[in-house]
Amino acid sequence: MIEVKNISKDFVSPKKYPGLKGAVKGLFSNEKVVKTAVDDISFSIRKGEIVGYIGSNGAGKSTTIKMMTGILTPTKGTCRVAGINPNQNRKENAKNIGVVFGQRTQLWWDLPLGESFTILKEIYDVPAEDFSARMDFLNDVLELQDFIDRPVRTLSLGQRMRADLGAALLHNPKVLYLDEPTIGLDLVVKDNIRRAIKQINEKYQTTVILTTHDIGDIEELCSRIIIIDEGKLIYDGSLANLKDTYGNKRKISMEIRQPWKLKELHLEETFGVGEDGCSTEFIEETNSFCVTFDKHRIQVPQVLSAVMEVTEVKDVQIQETELAQIVKEIYNHGTAEGR
Amino acid sequence: MNACKRYMRLYRVLAAQFFKTVMQSKVDFLMGLFGFFFTQIMGIAFLYLVFDQIPSLQGWTLDQLIFIYGFAQIPRGIDHLLTDNIWLVAWRLVLNGDFDRYMLRPMNIFFQIIAEKLQPDALGELLVGAILVVRSLAKGIVTVDAAHVVLFFVSVMAGALIYTSIKLFFAALAFWLKTSGPFLQVAYQMSDFAKYPTEIYAKGVRFLITWVIPFAFVAYLPASFFLKSGAGAGVIGFEWVIAIVFWCIAYYVFNRGIRVYESAGN
Repeated sequence: MIEVKNISKDFVSPKKYPGLKGAVKGLFSNEKVVKTAVDDISFSIRKGEIVGYIGSNGAGKSTTIKMMTGILTPTKGTCRVAGINPNQNRKENAKNIGVVFGQRTQLWWDLPLGESFTILKEIYDVPAEDFSARMDFLNDVLELQDFIDRPVRTLSLGQRMRADLGAALLHNPKVLYLDEPTIGLDLVVKDNIRRAIKQINEKYQTTVILTTHDIGDIEELCSRIIIIDEGKLIYDGSLANLKDTYGNKRKISMEIRQPWKLKELHLEETFGVGEDGCSTEFIEETNSFCVTFDKHRIQVPQVLSAVMEVTEVKDVQIQETELAQIVKEIYNHGTAEGR
Repeated sequence: MNACKRYMRLYRVLAAQFFKTVMQSKVDFLMGLFGFFFTQIMGIAFLYLVFDQIPSLQGWTLDQLIFIYGFAQIPRGIDHLLTDNIWLVAWRLVLNGDFDRYMLRPMNIFFQIIAEKLQPDALGELLVGAILVVRSLAKGIVTVDAAHVVLFFVSVMAGALIYTSIKLFFAALAFWLKTSGPFLQVAYQMSDFAKYPTEIYAKGVRFLITWVIPFAFVAYLPASFFLKSGAGAGVIGFEWVIAIVFWCIAYYVFNRGIRVYESAGN
């Protein structure tokens, strides 16, 4: 459905110098700063997939989405959505896609919500019977009827997001782009939105690409994730695989009685592993001693007995690494090997 | 043909939504109406005050000057009524990334921009223009025959297109500069020069408003054709040539601009 090949986007801006003097200097200099927002990314997405597109702020997520929707022209590389190049054939592409940008509405701000749908019906040439059938379906999953008569500007954020999602789906697009669809929403509304996305995907086989910072979105919706960092693709694969590759760490926190005795402890040597196999940390306020280790190489009882040899332990907590932790680690690392 | 019909239907739908929006805040709408009537009444009063002091100018009589002034208001008003939203492109839509929404809809982008807003204030200009032209007819200083009446409308359309082209060209610079409002403002204000015969200006100014930012072709030159003992009909043809050339340049630059559009971060 979507083919992205070696796509790059550079933003060129005039070089700026600090201060008033600098401003004057900048006026006369011809120097340019090139920022590569997206750097040689390729992937392809099949019909009906829900793909999570994630990365830290400024990683280039939105830029990629904007290239796929035809808003931005790539500096290098090509992109095809349902066989159409969005830059050469913007209007044709626009008929095939639906877009929700979480922080920007596409609706008519001052008009009752229902009017926006009527206008969109005309813009996308939706036949009357399709229109009523789809409105029924959207009402069902998004519960729009509660506020269909209210001007868009009076809607709450959650209502507006549901309305925007409905508006993006009215013409039954083949591809749905969601840029942070659950940002700023409470847990109940988040749940509703996620359920709606799932239902739409199942009913119409809509391909969904979603950027988010919410790990919950990814865990509940996406079978596949793509991670980018500083414009480069660093992971593309299933969620399960990501957890397998990176979720091999376990963490034990122990509240101990004799912290001064920790000096006698040399866990790395005891287990014969390097720093990546086992690392420790001590938090003084709570007297907690934390050991993070590779669960395939070291067992929990081994750690416990080693620690208990030197000090008394009052309390123990064992944590599996969560997805959020994995993602954070990948962002920090910059690269991942699991491509 | 189908596309044309579709766009006409869409224009009705979009214009209707604009009026609904305007009507939603009736107070604003009434204030706006009152405001523009007041402005126009003041404008006419000012006009008489000024022309009262100048009996004739470089061989032009007061009545002829009033015709040129009035005639100039009509293409200006038409453009103002229909394409006022271009200003927003210059000032902020490109800068804040709201231009995105035009890129996401399956319609011509220029069409979307102009269909989004009508400017009722322009009715003031059209009204003043019409009153002054009718006044000139009553005075008998304007040639009235079938050809002149037809050419009057032909000329007004070309004039409006020149206005639109100039606005579009300077607004399109926003794609490179992020905001081009100040440039557009300066260019648009040049049209004030065109309300008077260009002969009263220095050579440099005359060249500028005839060939660089061709407002002279919107008002003074065609208006002199309609005045008795004025220029030949060729000037209207030339006005259309200018209109089409400038439109092509502006539309080309606008489309190039869309390709370098950078949107805005969230």
